[in-house]
Amino acid sequence: MTTLTTPTSSGASAPTARKRRRRSVEGGWKQITINRAFLIPAIVVFVFLFVVPLLQGLYWSFTDFTGYSPEANFIGWDNYVQILNDPSMLSGLTFTLLFAVGTTLLVTCLAIPLAVQLNKAFVGRNVVRSLWFFPAVPSMAILGLVWSYILSPLPSGVLNTLLSNWFGIEAVSWLSDNTLARFSVIMVGVWAQTGWHAVLYLAYLQSIPQEYYEVAKIDGASPRQQFFAITLPLLMPAMVVSSFLLLTNGLKVFDLPYTLTNGGPGFATYTITQSLVVTGVGQGEYGLSSALAVMFTVAVGVIGFTQLRITSRIGRRFA
Amino acid sequence: MKSPMRMVVAGIAVTALAGSLGACSGDSGEADGTTTVSFLSWTGQEQMEPMIEAFEAENPDVTIEASYSPPVAEYIQTLQTRVLSGTAPDVFVVAAENKTNLIEAGAVVDLSGEPFMEGIQQFNLDTYGRDGAEYGLSLSSWAAGYAYNKEMLADVGYDGIPETWDEFLVMLQDLQDAGYTPFLESVDQMPTTVSAMLGAKTSQSDPSVDDQIFDGSSTFAEQWTPILEEYNRLYTEGLVSADVVALDGDQVRDEFANERVAVINAGPWIINAVQEANPELDWEFGQVPGLPDGMPFQAGAAAPGYAISASSDEETQEAAKTFLTWLASEQGVEMFHEATNDVTVTENFTPEVDPVFEPMVEPIRDGDLYLPMIAWQRDEDVLNVEAVAQVQRMIQGQIGPEDVAAALDAKLSS
Repeated sequence: MTTLTTPTSSGASAPTARKRRRRSVEGGWKQITINRAFLIPAIVVFVFLFVVPLLQGLYWSFTDFTGYSPEANFIGWDNYVQILNDPSMLSGLTFTLLFAVGTTLLVTCLAIPLAVQLNKAFVGRNVVRSLWFFPAVPSMAILGLVWSYILSPLPSGVLNTLLSNWFGIEAVSWLSDNTLARFSVIMVGVWAQTGWHAVLYLAYLQSIPQEYYEVAKIDGASPRQQFFAITLPLLMPAMVVSSFLLLTNGLKVFDLPYTLTNGGPGFATYTITQSLVVTGVGQGEYGLSSALAVMFTVAVGVIGFTQLRITSRIGRRFA
Repeated sequence: MKSPMRMVVAGIAVTALAGSLGACSGDSGEADGTTTVSFLSWTGQEQMEPMIEAFEAENPDVTIEASYSPPVAEYIQTLQTRVLSGTAPDVFVVAAENKTNLIEAGAVVDLSGEPFMEGIQQFNLDTYGRDGAEYGLSLSSWAAGYAYNKEMLADVGYDGIPETWDEFLVMLQDLQDAGYTPFLESVDQMPTTVSAMLGAKTSQSDPSVDDQIFDGSSTFAEQWTPILEEYNRLYTEGLVSADVVALDGDQVRDEFANERVAVINAGPWIINAVQEANPELDWEFGQVPGLPDGMPFQAGAAAPGYAISASSDEETQEAAKTFLTWLASEQGVEMFHEATNDVTVTENFTPEVDPVFEPMVEPIRDGDLYLPMIAWQRDEDVLNVEAVAQVQRMIQGQIGPEDVAAALDAKLSS
């Protein structure tokens, strides 16, 4: 990058130089106003589709609003107290966090090596890339329904039939055992997202100059050393984006567990978003549901912000 | 600036706007003397449209403006949004999931005393009524019991489902000993067995089990625990796999259709699918066996009822009543039955059902049906979600029957 102005030796002339630079770069106040006017549609959308509903939800969270009658009585913190005393909601919070963290770690660990392999030249590379990307195309709800048949705990389930025919293994309770059900939901989530994130990493990989690897080879670096000293540090910006998307999508997960296990067995795979939908729409308890949404929004904000700060800091260290 | 052309365009715009606002004002009377009734249908368009056409042919002064939303969650949400925004349809459906909210919000008209409510089964009127008022015209009911493979049962010496629970468990053991998977029951909803056993108990109680629980004179722990203990014998005695907690109704149905299980819980909705999958299957429905102090019974409920919006104007409400009168007529009920295959419960028409479902018709038309979610007087969905989850945990062996009942008591008091 080249600078637009040269440094001045006199302190008095510095503000003048800055002014001149701003005018020359940004085109003056008229241009600034025009540029900022382009933000108005985005601001309007943000205010009406995010800020207003958020404030309305915050208001409802302190009421007994049912969603059928416009009447809503102020009930203070009752909804928040009820949430904190409800085992199903706490169970939902536990699995939601487990899913978000589990899928983020596993997808990241799998997608990077996959992207490295997909970046190499081999016959049928584009077909293989497409196959890996395919699970990201159908909606999670459809994947959940399909996998519910594959992972059926009955001996006639697809996976159990294969395990029985090939290895003589008895039927496994994939979705009827709490631990296995949680594991199954997370694994399907990982399977569905790994290809998409590998493509994301692949895009960043292709922007790494080959000269770095050539110099490393001349210096005698092994492939492992090249990966950890060149590839991984230069993929940090991609990891920031990928892990942020994975974490936020994981925290919002609804369709996959809903169609695969319906939150069961018991509340083993119940999620916060399922709780929001069931409580608000199914049970007509909009006040309670709004309180849960407010708490969840704050939690997602804190987790997302923290994750972004940590990954950015790591990224700067490697940069 | 103010050119004549611009004035004309402005005038047209104002007129058009005024016209469109007038159309939104809720006045459904048309210039040609017809009245438009908006209708949010629970039944699919393919089934409902012929009925609407037949009604309009007989009643040219009323036009039905139908919209469709599939049950259950999407319908409930659509209706809820429209009621809250003041654009409720003139005729809609009141169901188990929304009846308490609609009645308490004053969103539905009391239909008691209307001539079209006279020929309806009392059980159906009570389902969508409260304190003597009747809010839903429910034309049919459904029942769920056990579907059984006749050949498998005959193989171990039975010609049908035994009448008592103990005998039924012995039969399941015999089936298991003979190498069959004896029984599967989907428990992603309230188990059919539990609902039927509770139904048998409440039909012999006065006041009913739920009246006692909800007026505070009894508890879930007192009323439900003995029944849950009997139900849990299926799992503690190793007759049924705990894997049922991960099965939905379709998976259980497919196992039955492919002759991999002898008995399943089921309702009339499986008939077509089973007969298409296995036309040679020899099977029939039967009631859920009774406990020693009970009797054979079945789970079931009145179908959702047609309701009239309290926010509609008087003229539209009258037109809506004309529509409901036609729906409850012999022609309307017959068309409804042919379109939906539901077992109708009106006095003016006797439905014909598939022979495999014949054993369930009499209980349906007699109103011998019970579904906890319908019978509960408040917090229906909250209690239902809790009950299903806790029953699943009981089946897994994580908690005992008394814990399930205690969790429901705790939920009701929260």
